[in-house]
Amino acid sequence: MDKEIVARVAKASHIRLTEEELDRYCKDLGDILDYFAILDEAPNHDGNGINPVEIADVLRDDVPEEKFDSEELLRDMKTYENYIRGPKLV
Amino acid sequence: MSDADTLSKLSRINDKYQMFNDFCRDGELGDAKFLFSVKDNLTSAEYETCAGSRILEGYRPVFDATCIAKLKAEGGKLIGKANMDEFGFGTFSTNSGFGIPRNPFDLSRSCGGSSGGSACAAAVIDDHISLGVSTGGSICCPASFCGTYGIVPSYGRVSRYGLIDYGNSLDKIGILAMDPKQMTKYLPVIAGKDKEDPTSCVQPELKITHKKMKSVAVPREAVEGIAKDVLDAFNKALEDLRSMGIDVEYVDMPELKYAMPAYYILATSEASTNLARYVGMRYGQQEGDLTLGFDDYFTSFRTQYFGDEAKRRILLGTYTRMEGFRDRYYAKALQVRMVVIDAYKKVFADHDAVLTPTMPFVSPKFDDISRMTPVESYKADFLTVPPNLAGTPHLNCPCGYNADGMPIGMQFVTDHWNEDQLLTMAEEWDKQFEIRKAEVSL
Repeated sequence: MDKEIVARVAKASHIRLTEEELDRYCKDLGDILDYFAILDEAPNHDGNGINPVEIADVLRDDVPEEKFDSEELLRDMKTYENYIRGPKLV
Repeated sequence: MSDADTLSKLSRINDKYQMFNDFCRDGELGDAKFLFSVKDNLTSAEYETCAGSRILEGYRPVFDATCIAKLKAEGGKLIGKANMDEFGFGTFSTNSGFGIPRNPFDLSRSCGGSSGGSACAAAVIDDHISLGVSTGGSICCPASFCGTYGIVPSYGRVSRYGLIDYGNSLDKIGILAMDPKQMTKYLPVIAGKDKEDPTSCVQPELKITHKKMKSVAVPREAVEGIAKDVLDAFNKALEDLRSMGIDVEYVDMPELKYAMPAYYILATSEASTNLARYVGMRYGQQEGDLTLGFDDYFTSFRTQYFGDEAKRRILLGTYTRMEGFRDRYYAKALQVRMVVIDAYKKVFADHDAVLTPTMPFVSPKFDDISRMTPVESYKADFLTVPPNLAGTPHLNCPCGYNADGMPIGMQFVTDHWNEDQLLTMAEEWDKQFEIRKAEVSL
């Protein structure tokens, strides 16, 4: 497994890796993907395997409802003037 | 026994087995008709819900998962949130951020995973049911290791509303209990359509008709590489099934060998997107350096609070979805799911169920688990993964004990929506099998 690829995947996943972790995950992912190679010989299928059972169309109209009290929802969140607090964007 | 005595005993049991993250320490049990616990990835308004992850520490949901609300409406009292591998990532419940549950038959061994705390609770608390969640084997594995029954219904049978998802196309909520009649009683309670989970809205009604099995198929591939003590108990169980009037036939299911990689690709792909929401805002851990840019802020939380296996699965799932690799891994895995479903359907045309051992070995000791590589650990799931990938209902029945007294389980798989025959099988089996309850000395 290419170290650069694992580093790129980690960055995209918002996970920082030490050099030791990078080496370890490179080996682990390499071993795992070697094991997955058996899939190459598996037969193909025309079906849609997104779900294991057929899921009916359950689209519905968008109807606003207040299911939870907003103050209760914010109870354990770090907030500022009733807005969820987060890091700076710029 | 008074409520105080019951809760005091519960506390002492938990001290010994560490099966709960959070549990009922005081107060009254009131006029509860029955006590139950749930895996800690099911949201509950009265307890913290952490899904075994430090990143969710302190999270107090404002609502009960549908399955919990339904059991409460039936007169149940939720007494504990059961320990588990972080977000369900594990086979031995050793990947929890909150300690490790201990096997009731041998404290130096695993309860199995990822619903290890649930299996332990079902095994050591009298007349108890515990809800678990299975993505790739997380109910049948711990049920097998702890010597309990465990049923995983069809995908979509039980609403997942209030479940902290691992893999949305794989997660199924089920029941673990020492008495199979409890499963027959409470599965219909938690099953049913729920508009909050569209995948639950396609199911036919769950009817318990007590239809008995007449024939089971044992895939030859499923008895290769099995430990001798497990195989001996399994073969003895086949004889017992025959004496119950059930035909046992060996069949070939070569497609099963593709289930494992397909499962891990789909599960980690879905998990890596599901876990993107945990960034130090809204839930759980939120004390970070707000002067950081958002990328660094999110990264700092995820790096600090996700465990080793969670990081490994996020990396794997992100990789297999990446441009250039997606067709080889993710798209192929979706096809393989259909191949495996077709293989099951073909067997179900002539047989009521597919039967295998549940796990290839009895519960290992923690020392042995710590020496396993990730691939060795994943391979331990090779018998429980296929029905989970296919979304077919399945059942663990205790079927024997090895020379050390460790439980051994067998796994029945039936066609989609056919939980009836599994529940009936469990009750019929229980009439002639002498199940051993772990000795709980406090």
